[in-house]
Amino acid sequence: MPSIPSRPGPAACGSIAAVLALACVAAPCTAKTRAPIAPPGSRPSGPPLEEHVLSNGMKLVLIPRHLSPTIAGCWVARVGSANERPGITGISHLFEHMMFKGTHTIGTRDYGQDERLIEEQERVRGEMRAETSRMRAAQRRGEIDDLMKPENKTARYRELEATFDSLVAAQRANMVKNEFNQILQKNGATFINAFTNEDMTVYFETLPANKLELWFWLESDRLENRVFREFYSERDVVFEERRLRTESTPTGKFEESFDAVFWDASPYAWPVVGWPSDVANITKAQADEYYGTYYAPQNLTALLVGDFDPKVALAMAEKYLGSIPAGTRPVPEMITSEPRQLAEKRFYGEAETNPAVTIRWHTVAFVHRDAPALEVLQAVLDGPSGRLQRHIVLGSGVATSGSANSDTRKYEGLFEVTAEARDGHTPEEVEQAIDREIDRLKQEPLPAEELQSVKNRYLANSYRSLSSNFRLVVRYAVSEGRGDLHRLDQIAAEVQRITAEDVRRVADRYLTKENRAVAIWTRKAGAGSEDPAIADFPPQAQPMIRSTIARIQQTSDPAQLREMMTRMDERSAQLPPEMKPAMDYLRAKLQERLGQLSTSDK
Amino acid sequence: MNRPTRIAACAAAALALVLSSPAARAAGPGMSRPEQLQFPRLDYTPPEAENYRVSLRGGMVAYLVPDRALPLVTITVLMRIGPDLDPLGKQGLAQGTMYLLTRSGTAGRTAAQLEDRVAFLGAQLQSQMGGGGGGFGGPGIPVGPSESFASINLLSKDLDEGLGILTDCLKSAAFEEDRVTLARQQLLQTMQQRNDDSGDIESREWGILINGEGHWSNRYATRASVEAITREDMVAFLRRYLGPKNMLLAVSGDFDRAAMIQKLEKVFASWPTPGERPGPPAGPAEPTAAGWFLVDKDVNQGRVSIGLRALDRYDPDFFPGLLMNDVLGGGGFSSRLVNRIRSDEGLAYSVRSSLDAGAYYPGPWRTAFQSKVRSVAYATSIAFEEIRKIREAPVTDEELELAKSRRIEGLPAFFETAGAIANVLAVDELTGRYARDPSYYATYRDRVRAVSVADVQRAARRLLDPAKMTVLMVGNAADMLQGDPKYPVRLTTLAGGEPKRLPLRDPMTMKPIANP
Repeated sequence: MPSIPSRPGPAACGSIAAVLALACVAAPCTAKTRAPIAPPGSRPSGPPLEEHVLSNGMKLVLIPRHLSPTIAGCWVARVGSANERPGITGISHLFEHMMFKGTHTIGTRDYGQDERLIEEQERVRGEMRAETSRMRAAQRRGEIDDLMKPENKTARYRELEATFDSLVAAQRANMVKNEFNQILQKNGATFINAFTNEDMTVYFETLPANKLELWFWLESDRLENRVFREFYSERDVVFEERRLRTESTPTGKFEESFDAVFWDASPYAWPVVGWPSDVANITKAQADEYYGTYYAPQNLTALLVGDFDPKVALAMAEKYLGSIPAGTRPVPEMITSEPRQLAEKRFYGEAETNPAVTIRWHTVAFVHRDAPALEVLQAVLDGPSGRLQRHIVLGSGVATSGSANSDTRKYEGLFEVTAEARDGHTPEEVEQAIDREIDRLKQEPLPAEELQSVKNRYLANSYRSLSSNFRLVVRYAVSEGRGDLHRLDQIAAEVQRITAEDVRRVADRYLTKENRAVAIWTRKAGAGSEDPAIADFPPQAQPMIRSTIARIQQTSDPAQLREMMTRMDERSAQLPPEMKPAMDYLRAKLQERLGQLSTSDK
Repeated sequence: MNRPTRIAACAAAALALVLSSPAARAAGPGMSRPEQLQFPRLDYTPPEAENYRVSLRGGMVAYLVPDRALPLVTITVLMRIGPDLDPLGKQGLAQGTMYLLTRSGTAGRTAAQLEDRVAFLGAQLQSQMGGGGGGFGGPGIPVGPSESFASINLLSKDLDEGLGILTDCLKSAAFEEDRVTLARQQLLQTMQQRNDDSGDIESREWGILINGEGHWSNRYATRASVEAITREDMVAFLRRYLGPKNMLLAVSGDFDRAAMIQKLEKVFASWPTPGERPGPPAGPAEPTAAGWFLVDKDVNQGRVSIGLRALDRYDPDFFPGLLMNDVLGGGGFSSRLVNRIRSDEGLAYSVRSSLDAGAYYPGPWRTAFQSKVRSVAYATSIAFEEIRKIREAPVTDEELELAKSRRIEGLPAFFETAGAIANVLAVDELTGRYARDPSYYATYRDRVRAVSVADVQRAARRLLDPAKMTVLMVGNAADMLQGDPKYPVRLTTLAGGEPKRLPLRDPMTMKPIANP
């Protein structure tokens, strides 16, 4: 079935950050300490969470806990693909890659020479862009097909590319490859990575506890002194990532297309990795501009969890991170909001995948008051004891799996149900079965025990999210990125107060026909598991052949199969001659199935 | 919990260091470097099995790692159960049985009642054959393909009930008909997708080329084998293999050690069957299919795997091999293959090599990457260039020191949580390392430190013979063969001829379905 990519969630830059940042421009660093982070309704456990704002407006969150001699550190840039625009889609993610390329000190033997070579490379790239514009014009005229094809590059482009490559080679001799990662690895760091989604970019690693200062040194250095060396080869790497995660997967491009169908105005319509045309053409100048706009300290939050003394950490934070110059202009607010949808949208994807259905409704932002009730609604439908499993997988048996997900992001949200059709059933039948479950949620109050079960699971899961430094730091980073550091804790508390009426109300309000988009997935003819011989039959016969084969494979009673054979024999005389081969083919499949069953009996 | 760990320098000293040192980071030439930082000493002792290992009355072994920080407890039962135990014609039996062990009811509860109760407790009950993931925050349950586990994680206030639920499943899984039918259908529909994703095709064909089609790891479930499996088969399978002789426990979280021992001894004291402990899974009997192979799949990125059988984890070259692989492609951004194929050339997003030193028999060394179809030949040529280099010339001192530091300094993170300690130690006992090499973790850092540049080169020469390697490519064949005019390399030149075409297999029978 189509795998819907899991996205850690959206980002933030909300008013709290702005207020705190403003307050700290004039005042020295302030701090406040919150109560322990234990989930509600349980005994207290877990260390305190401290929030600080450094003198340049950067937020700092400290969660000391001394369970193992390790620390997990991360910082969140409250910028993601939602802050992009057509033409530079994917730049947030490309930027994430570039932040590992070193600084004035890290990754080079001579920064001065580095700068000169980068400047020269940019000059050549400018000429290459002009040549690409000509190639794009040729493509519009239909003279060439694919801009990525090596044969479609002009002679001048190839000449410039050779010049560019020689400049890269010269630069390489002056570089210390991947030195940022190497220093971290040498010092025992693990999970050295980052992720970008629609709302945030998060950089993280874990380190032995005694390397706390190294974390501050390296992170502050790359924030202040980053150098975008190897910009264009890294852009190619990102394009390979796009091929890997999207273009070469059975449903990747379809899912991207479904996103674009679902959102009308919201920037969530375009993929985080970016459209192919944009990824291939983002310039270093655009990335520099993006950095200047969104990576100012007042748009960043650093988080540390683990075995450290908060006083020491705060002093280091002020020294290293707090000394980065504050940004001089406000971070632009993302203002485009999704208009209310007026009519149901439908999407039909024929792909190399089993038949399935995905239904997606517009809901609310992460910080919205209805988010906790939507979480409960998800839990009622999802999981081994959820209603989808009970009623459409085991009950009516039209599906083999079903799942639900409430995805509340920084600016907008969605609620999604997806299910794979059982052989012999269509995605449309599954859709109707899901509709019946949704109607029940709107009409019948949730039984008290079912609601309590959801609350119990939520409580236990809240504890699980505290089980390692790394999980904890990512949990708060995501909450911060979606708009409020404390929102995940608040949701955990509010879930415990949700009533059956709250669940009915949000189902009624959001899960309506005019507010949804439906994707119907069917297997592409001739793809994957299908016998290639089917493609040779007349197109009008192929659907009948496929459904009959599904019925044959579903049947394990030899008597029923023999009865099907008899019926086929009776009817074959009435068929037009061009359909005879199809009937013979099905007869052979019946025989094959009977043979399989007789082998199984033995 | 009792962890033998301390940071030697106190916080006050660290604070003084911060306040007294000059601005350590500044832009421009002549600036200071992170190497100038001075760190407090960290004395770390890896966990020792004897501190956690308990022999229960009746002979079962349990690893108990209490951690009272959160009110959660996890009980995991590990078993030597894998697909090598499937009778011929019933491939999928072990997998299906282990999956349904906790998902099909028990003697006292229907599957629905069990699911409802587990959900109400907020518990996580699961069982499966093969590895239990890991991902962010811990190594998960690091069993291999020929081991299985069943586990429950829940609030410690519900410990007794949770232990009861888990042991009920193990003793009396009911294999209710509707759950068996559903699991069978789910497996069949998953099988239908075997040719949809180029990664699945690559993984399957790679296994067949390396271990041979007859090896147990390549005996795939088919429609016929899945339909031949009955409820009675599963009951008999469990009766034969599940019992104290073939079970080992990993318990972590919020409990008192003495009280937990009592509870475990009580519930595991009387068991309906002793359980048979199977011998180690057999190694491959057929030789590896060396040479160049290609599967035509119409996707715009080619997947490439290069490798051969290498060594097991008791081999004298195990540590030199690990470090050699770290330098070559296993050390992430500090490794040569990543630097060349990804960073220098921008030809791939994911490039890595791995040395899968087998627990029972020699496992493979493999490098794998994915590149746009037209640049597959060039990227592959770079991979071979690096393989040749690491054989022909010694690695630099800096490279080896980096690889060593990475492993030595990264050890505390490997055992970050109580669950990680319990799981790693218990799996080591299950798979035989505890018996053969009981001081493995205690001596790990010393053994890493002892590896020399010459050791690394010897391991490279011994393990990475290009003439014996298997190369598998999956993607649009015509484009991969055409190559890119920018690079003067063609697959046919590299391979010394046209690579052998492998056909796709019928996903339900696994027989070749088309002439390549």
